[in-house]
Amino acid sequence: MVETVSSKEAKQYIVVKLGNEQYGIDIQYVDNIVRMQKITRVPKAQEYFNGVINLRGEIVPVMSLRVKFELDEDEFTGKTRILILKIEPQAAVGVIVDEVREVVTLDEDSIEKVSYDPNDEKSFYLSGIGKHNDNLISLLNIAGIIVEKEKEA
Amino acid sequence: MDVSQYLEIFIDETREHLQSLNEQILVLEREPENVDTINEIFRAAHSLKGMAGTMGYKRMQRLTHDMENVFSEIRNGKMKASPKLVDVLFKGLDALEQYLDVIVNSGDEGTEDNEDIIKTLNEILNEGLGGGAVAPEAAPAAAAVAAAPEATAESGVKPFKLAEHEQSAVAKALSEKMNAFAMTVYIQETCILKAARAFLVFKALEDLGTVIHSEPSVQDIEDERFEFDFSVVLLTDKDAETAKKKVENVSEIKMVCIEPIKAESVAGATTSETKETTEASGSTQKEATPAATTQQKATTGKPVVNRSVRVDIDKLDDLMNLVSELIIAKNGLVSINTTDVIGLRESGFNEQIEYLERITTNLHQSVMKTRMVPIENVVSRFPRMIRDISKKLDKKMELYMSGEETELDRTVIDEIGDPLMHMLRNAADHGLESNEERIKAGKPEVGSIFLNAYQDGNNVVIEVRDDGKGVDVEKIKKKAVEKGTITPEQAATMTDKEAIDLLFRPSFSTAEKISDLSGRGVGLDVVKSKIEALGGDVEAKTVLGAGTTFIVRLPLTLAIIQALMVELGKEKYAIPLGSIQTIEDVLPSDIKYVQTKEVIHLRGNVIPLIRLRNVLDVAPDDFNPESLTVVIVAKGDRLAGLVVDNLIGQQEIVIKSIGKYINNNKMIGGATILGDGEVALILDANAIV
Repeated sequence: MVETVSSKEAKQYIVVKLGNEQYGIDIQYVDNIVRMQKITRVPKAQEYFNGVINLRGEIVPVMSLRVKFELDEDEFTGKTRILILKIEPQAAVGVIVDEVREVVTLDEDSIEKVSYDPNDEKSFYLSGIGKHNDNLISLLNIAGIIVEKEKEA
Repeated sequence: MDVSQYLEIFIDETREHLQSLNEQILVLEREPENVDTINEIFRAAHSLKGMAGTMGYKRMQRLTHDMENVFSEIRNGKMKASPKLVDVLFKGLDALEQYLDVIVNSGDEGTEDNEDIIKTLNEILNEGLGGGAVAPEAAPAAAAVAAAPEATAESGVKPFKLAEHEQSAVAKALSEKMNAFAMTVYIQETCILKAARAFLVFKALEDLGTVIHSEPSVQDIEDERFEFDFSVVLLTDKDAETAKKKVENVSEIKMVCIEPIKAESVAGATTSETKETTEASGSTQKEATPAATTQQKATTGKPVVNRSVRVDIDKLDDLMNLVSELIIAKNGLVSINTTDVIGLRESGFNEQIEYLERITTNLHQSVMKTRMVPIENVVSRFPRMIRDISKKLDKKMELYMSGEETELDRTVIDEIGDPLMHMLRNAADHGLESNEERIKAGKPEVGSIFLNAYQDGNNVVIEVRDDGKGVDVEKIKKKAVEKGTITPEQAATMTDKEAIDLLFRPSFSTAEKISDLSGRGVGLDVVKSKIEALGGDVEAKTVLGAGTTFIVRLPLTLAIIQALMVELGKEKYAIPLGSIQTIEDVLPSDIKYVQTKEVIHLRGNVIPLIRLRNVLDVAPDDFNPESLTVVIVAKGDRLAGLVVDNLIGQQEIVIKSIGKYINNNKMIGGATILGDGEVALILDANAIV
């Protein structure tokens, strides 16, 4: 589980855009941000995995958050980026986002917890809602997104 | 002294010595009179003791020491290697292995004293010597002598234990009217060069007589591995006062305590006292070396052992040469770049590229060679294991091994031990019948297990074969139906081979009763998955009543392979060359149908066709060639034809993992990066066939 609300300190989030929504990704998991590049399809992989890329000699699987969140299909534009996330060493995963906007700092007070609905798979993907200026940012639970649930496997 | 830097070497060498001891003792059991073997054993035990001592592993040293005593007596012909003795020796070796494991994990030898083994060893030693009538008085006398210093512990002389040969030396000296003194020398705590002072003490004592024993050992004292006191046993014709004076003359000596080892104590002693002394000496050793031990703990608290490979110096020289050539090739390329003549640049460039290619290929082979280890390293412990199983199960059996010199990649060698061991156990436990059954079946009473290894193309094959009862295919089917693994209908149509493959399913065991060795059903499936993880495969063949063979196929190397690049639509895939038999052009009219499945008939073989486009869900397009390009791959003796669009060519590829998050259905064995930076997936032919 990602601890976003238990510590008093403020945390930094990278704000990305997916469709009309803004999502925040805890900056400590972000290893790198790269431009869209050729993705090699992996047959029989999960639907939301687009395939693998060559990241400076390492093979990194890339997943589509849009497919994972059951949004519309990805549309690759000049702003599309791949965020390389590392939740443990030696195991990177790339996620495709429409656009990387900014880095925001959120303290505990400006984060609202979300309740988990055990029946709703998608509620595992969020760790909270952040309020920044007038915008609402859905904070992503990276571990919950990347690590496969047993029942899915 | 910090010895942690030697830990790796120590562990490696100890393993080697233990292995050689295991092997030699097995030989000794069969040929108790073999002098060469005994000498070999003695040498190994002796080095082991020395090494353990140097590293400060007192318990290990003590155990080896006592074992060495036994070997020494055997070597001198005073004892025979009785079955009981061999059992204890093996137990001792196991205990030493445990020490070693603990050392590998923690850098410390742990606290297990293995008193029982030491005690049994000493008992056997005493029995053997007493019964041998060669040195009838030596054993009891020696035991008594050992007890003597303990009694005088209050006088400042620390108690310690004498080894058997030292004890007999004391007894002999006493009988020759010489004096034997136990002496503890205390050095001033301000002394800086303790070892030097100790050396002077030894020198002084050696003028007077012979120092037959010291505590800690001379080696430890020289290395300054002692606190501020050490004890010696001196045989001399001078009296105690002279000896004391002589030692006190050495500067920076705080105190010298001296105590004669009395002749009368020889009379009243019994063996039980020996044990007390043993324990006392155990504690002395603990006291004597706390400094050394704490230092060890501080420096080696964590597992410090890196895995290492011993490399032949010639191989390293080869590597060095190749690297030099690589540099020359690079310089060649640089100089071509500065050439003005265009034509020369072009041709020189191609030449250098070819040169470079030759070097990298050679470099690759050389590096791979340094990683290659003979399979002997793993299999050499099996004879011992089979011996133990044979005793435990009370079945007579013999293990025959061949091809131990076959080489495999180090990473494979490390992993293959357990699966092989498991298969051997299986063979011994389930495969072979009991002695009576064998006689009834008209077979030789002693069962045979064979372990053969050989290289087969890009693979190494290891066969584990037994001449036991074989596997009853019907029984497997029945069991599988009972367990619900398959339906009765499936069972009826199953070929024998498919039925035998059921053995590799999880939780499937045909053994009627669960034994200590096997039969819990957590066996062959684990073997299979482990071997598959190494990129290999395993199959079983059986003839009812005549035995079972397990065939393990392993790739020679892991990281870099030769592969055939193929094209499917716009995608590129690599097929490892090792699994490819031939490549054929097949006309659509040659395709036949068997049970609605596409097959081709090729040189007497019926080969099923697999359309990779369909299997890999490649986006359909209007690619419609006149003839199909079919890559014939083999898995064991099974063939299959993979239909591809185009062949790109042969290439050396580096295998990389595609990560653990992405679902991998085993068809993809990994990925590789092509020259243009693109990623191509590697097909695992074994999983597709």
